[in-house]
Amino acid sequence: MLMAVKNQIRVCVLSTKYNIMREMLNKVTFLTNICFMALNNAAFIIQWVILFHLKKDIGGYTMKEVMLLWGLAASTFGLARILFNRAFSLPELIINGKLDSYLVMPKNVLLSVITSSTNTSAIGDLLYGLTVMCIFSFSVGRLFLFLLFTVTGAVIITAFAVIMGSLSFWFVRAEAFGVHMINSVISFATYPDGIFRGKVRFLLYNIIPVGMSVYMPVHVMTHFDMRSLLTVTGYTILISAAAVFVFYRGLRRYSSSNLMAARM
Amino acid sequence: MRKYAVIYRSVLMENMQYAMDIVMGFISYFMFIFVFIHLWNYMYSSPEELISGYTREQMIWYTMITEMMWFGARSGTVSGQAATDIRGGNIAYLMNKPYHYTMYILAKHTGEWSVQLPMYAVFAVVMGMTMVGKLPAFRIVTLLAIIPCIILGITINAVFKLCISLISFWIEDSNPFQWLYDKMILVVGTIFPIEIFPAQMQPFLKLTPIYTVCYGPAKLVVDFNMEKCVEILIAQTIYLAAGCGIMLLIYGRGVKKLYVNGG
Repeated sequence: MLMAVKNQIRVCVLSTKYNIMREMLNKVTFLTNICFMALNNAAFIIQWVILFHLKKDIGGYTMKEVMLLWGLAASTFGLARILFNRAFSLPELIINGKLDSYLVMPKNVLLSVITSSTNTSAIGDLLYGLTVMCIFSFSVGRLFLFLLFTVTGAVIITAFAVIMGSLSFWFVRAEAFGVHMINSVISFATYPDGIFRGKVRFLLYNIIPVGMSVYMPVHVMTHFDMRSLLTVTGYTILISAAAVFVFYRGLRRYSSSNLMAARM
Repeated sequence: MRKYAVIYRSVLMENMQYAMDIVMGFISYFMFIFVFIHLWNYMYSSPEELISGYTREQMIWYTMITEMMWFGARSGTVSGQAATDIRGGNIAYLMNKPYHYTMYILAKHTGEWSVQLPMYAVFAVVMGMTMVGKLPAFRIVTLLAIIPCIILGITINAVFKLCISLISFWIEDSNPFQWLYDKMILVVGTIFPIEIFPAQMQPFLKLTPIYTVCYGPAKLVVDFNMEKCVEILIAQTIYLAAGCGIMLLIYGRGVKKLYVNGG
């Protein structure tokens, strides 16, 4: 059992390594993508400078905390897109019947699918997140928590993308719906949770997984609380299990389109 | 011009078949505006407060209008398709057709937003009326002046995005430049009106595409003024002429660098 897990992890690491190597064939494009994505994220600092000029406290957050929120959101999405990029384009594989080549592989289907591509610019997101965290709120303990929450956040976002993408096994229109739902996670994740109240807060902590992937981790990093840390970990396991269940349940409905495809 | 009208009509008819996909796009627009309604509700301590001369309703409507233009006119044609045509070599087949390639792309893009934008406009009005409230000073007759401003703003944006895509003649991937341009428009232009920036920065911002692409049309919706309208229309005309000049220049230089490898 342990050996099988070890082997699977090795395959995933190799898959990501080869994805990145393939992207590095054109070094100029590779580096431009990374640098410009980091700059792209940095552009939002202007927005927050202006907003904090108008009010010193936004939803209980200071500039330092908003930067931590931004850093974690960027690195979370970055890591998810580096390791599990295909999870975000799952509907395309399902609708066009392109899952065949993964089904015949002697490894876990879901992991093989989601690790089969890497988004280069996401490396810029991850590096930006880490840099912002180190500049605005560095401490060894916080860095450790930041890395831990980057992993849990990436798993949560990926699981959510898998659930949304798997809806395409049942509904064709789910493709567009899933994309917009994932975009909405990004929209919410970069604004303080303090500006939302009532039912919206409930929605963000339970249905759209922004609360558990970004908001609660930021609270733990600013005021450590073991219970919140365990809640985030538990939620990560729960949503991952839900994603696996939904994907394999949907896979029973999958029908091939007899496409000849080779994975290289 | 007739050939571009035919391209426009055929793309328009094609896009009308995908109205349901456009409706799905409302989810992202709704979420985005929803966040901003909450943000500005938080920023304004009282309903009477003014921030840089804007009431709470005006500020939210400003964002709704700029985002309506952004979402309603977004398409992969001026950015994705043009860059892919150049990178993949498909441009070799398109440039010898009896039309100018850049005008073909612009006509196609216009056909796309002609379906999307009115749908987003209706959605924005419904959302605004139910979640924010009506704009007190808005008069329906001003739309006669505002609509040309919106159309010009969208066309200027498309021309500049196409200019960036044409950089693909020299570099493989022009996407990173698109991101930066988009972020400049999105962060500085669509979220805040120019008046919110420090006074020293405002004259500089009026020289950027932000003034003609987003600020101009949205400002006229939330606070119409005939003098301002004329000023914006003149600025847009100059910008469009300059943008088209740059676009044709880049295209002219770029096609000389084109290598056709057969296939």
